[in-house]
Amino acid sequence: MNLTKSKQATQASIYTARQYNLATHVYRVLIYLFLIVLLVVTITPIWLLIVNATRSTYEIQQGISILPSVHTLDNYGVLLGRGLNLVRGFLNSLFVSAATTVLAVYFAFLTAYGVTVYRFKGRNLFNNFIVLLVMIPMQLSIIGFFQYMSKLGLTDTFAALILPAIANAGAVFFAKQYLDSMIIEELIDAARIDGAGELKIFHTIMMPLAIPGAITLGIFSFVAAWNNFFNAYIIINSIEKYTLPMLIQTLRGDVYRTEYGAIYLGLAVTVVPIILIYALFSRYIVSGIAMGSMKG
Amino acid sequence: MFGMKKEHYGYLFIAPFIIGFLVFGLYPVYNTVYLSFTDTTLMSKEANWIGLQNFQRLFADDVFMKAVKNTWIIWILNFIPQIGIATLLAVWFTSARLKIRAVGIWRALFYLPNLLMPAAVAALFFSLFSYYGPVNQFLVRLGLLTEAQHFLQSVPIARGLVVFIQWWMWFGQTLILVMAGMTSISVSLYEAAMVDGASSFDMFRKITLPLLKPILIYIFVISLVGGMQMFDIPYLLTDQRGSPSGSIMTNNILMYLKFSSSKGHIGAASSVGVLIFIMTSICALGIFYFLRERDRQPGR
Repeated sequence: MNLTKSKQATQASIYTARQYNLATHVYRVLIYLFLIVLLVVTITPIWLLIVNATRSTYEIQQGISILPSVHTLDNYGVLLGRGLNLVRGFLNSLFVSAATTVLAVYFAFLTAYGVTVYRFKGRNLFNNFIVLLVMIPMQLSIIGFFQYMSKLGLTDTFAALILPAIANAGAVFFAKQYLDSMIIEELIDAARIDGAGELKIFHTIMMPLAIPGAITLGIFSFVAAWNNFFNAYIIINSIEKYTLPMLIQTLRGDVYRTEYGAIYLGLAVTVVPIILIYALFSRYIVSGIAMGSMKG
Repeated sequence: MFGMKKEHYGYLFIAPFIIGFLVFGLYPVYNTVYLSFTDTTLMSKEANWIGLQNFQRLFADDVFMKAVKNTWIIWILNFIPQIGIATLLAVWFTSARLKIRAVGIWRALFYLPNLLMPAAVAALFFSLFSYYGPVNQFLVRLGLLTEAQHFLQSVPIARGLVVFIQWWMWFGQTLILVMAGMTSISVSLYEAAMVDGASSFDMFRKITLPLLKPILIYIFVISLVGGMQMFDIPYLLTDQRGSPSGSIMTNNILMYLKFSSSKGHIGAASSVGVLIFIMTSICALGIFYFLRERDRQPGR
């Protein structure tokens, strides 16, 4: 970010000589208008969702409001009354997402550390392989995955959703980009002289230094797992194991046909935690997206 | 571990990934390919090797080609405005002449939809555009419609909505990537161009675009791979079969419908997966290597 600013400052200094003319001002006003329209388009659906979650079905049928109401608990009561266990779905999602995140982040950094620090034979091949995996639609092997899991007796278990996180190519790619931007060779050498083992160096020296990167990767892994509908939809059968996205699609059933307030509340429960995470960590997220991409 | 050469520890560190990949990545791919040559169902224990019959059936059936066509149409229609608006915004946001305020906040807000759960987004739009939904209420009240419409029963509106939702969820991410690419371009290039009297459009075309190419290729490939696997939004927006008249049935929906059919034809479902896998991989890797190799550094 600082780099961007200093560049903008340099660029700005070039322009200080030139006076802003009228055309530039008009252009700027038009741009802001465009941005505002785009912002309204971006935010309105989310805002309607959250506001309607607090309104009664009667109010919702009376028309659109941009102000929240007071019927959140009533709506929750309706969901409970129809047997939708939102809390259990929430906890299931939380467990699966947290476990997936821990595995993905730990093994991504472990793998990335291995290819960054050691110059073993086949290292470049492995790096290219990771890039290749990022560009291949692995999701499409879900049917083979499902049948294989059913042979192992792992269908309808969280393990089948969580364990594949050990080999997440996108996460390894990100971790590698992150480690490449850190200079740790000297620290590693110093630790070796002190007689620390290689794995210990990874745990006690590298991991603490990589915490910002691990947080960024963790947020992405968590959101991806939290939002993942397709895999859970294929693997999970029993309703007590439903994750939130699966629970939500049952909201469209006939049972809830006229209960708009309750439907919106069910949807809002999935969205609000993510918005809170984003409000807290948006800096990590925005810089993380750029880092996870291939620039070279 | 005494006597082990230091560099060989690399193998130890990548071993869990490799094992995980073999077990949860490669074997499922092999298994999917294998199943696609059989008539395996979820209901029967027995399965026969039927060669290419699954594939022949797919090509004989209009539904498969239609799903492929739908997926491409929806992806292309959302990708063009996505990259277009993202690039336009990135040019504005990085312009020293325009000095747009609060770039970070704009960008953060535009990115927000990307984090939302697609299943919830689909259900939200289903509800917003339903017969008694807010959009109908709003348009009728404003007098733009004389009576409420069944929006989701119209082919162009249903397709348009999927395109819109995909665009809405992804243009913010594309914006961040394009901006990252733009800010990494050296300012001295622009200074030199300005001394030579280049217009801002010239600079965009001759400096920004060529240097942005690697990141544009990346966006292109990642969006294509994601787009070809589109599922949640079109699946949950209407009746979970790609209605109206199959217009938003994508590759993945077709695969799922074969999988979840009453008999559970996982052999046939696998063949859909295999074909889309091949199609997407060829396109993605083709774009990546073909465009990359032609990439030339502009003269400095």
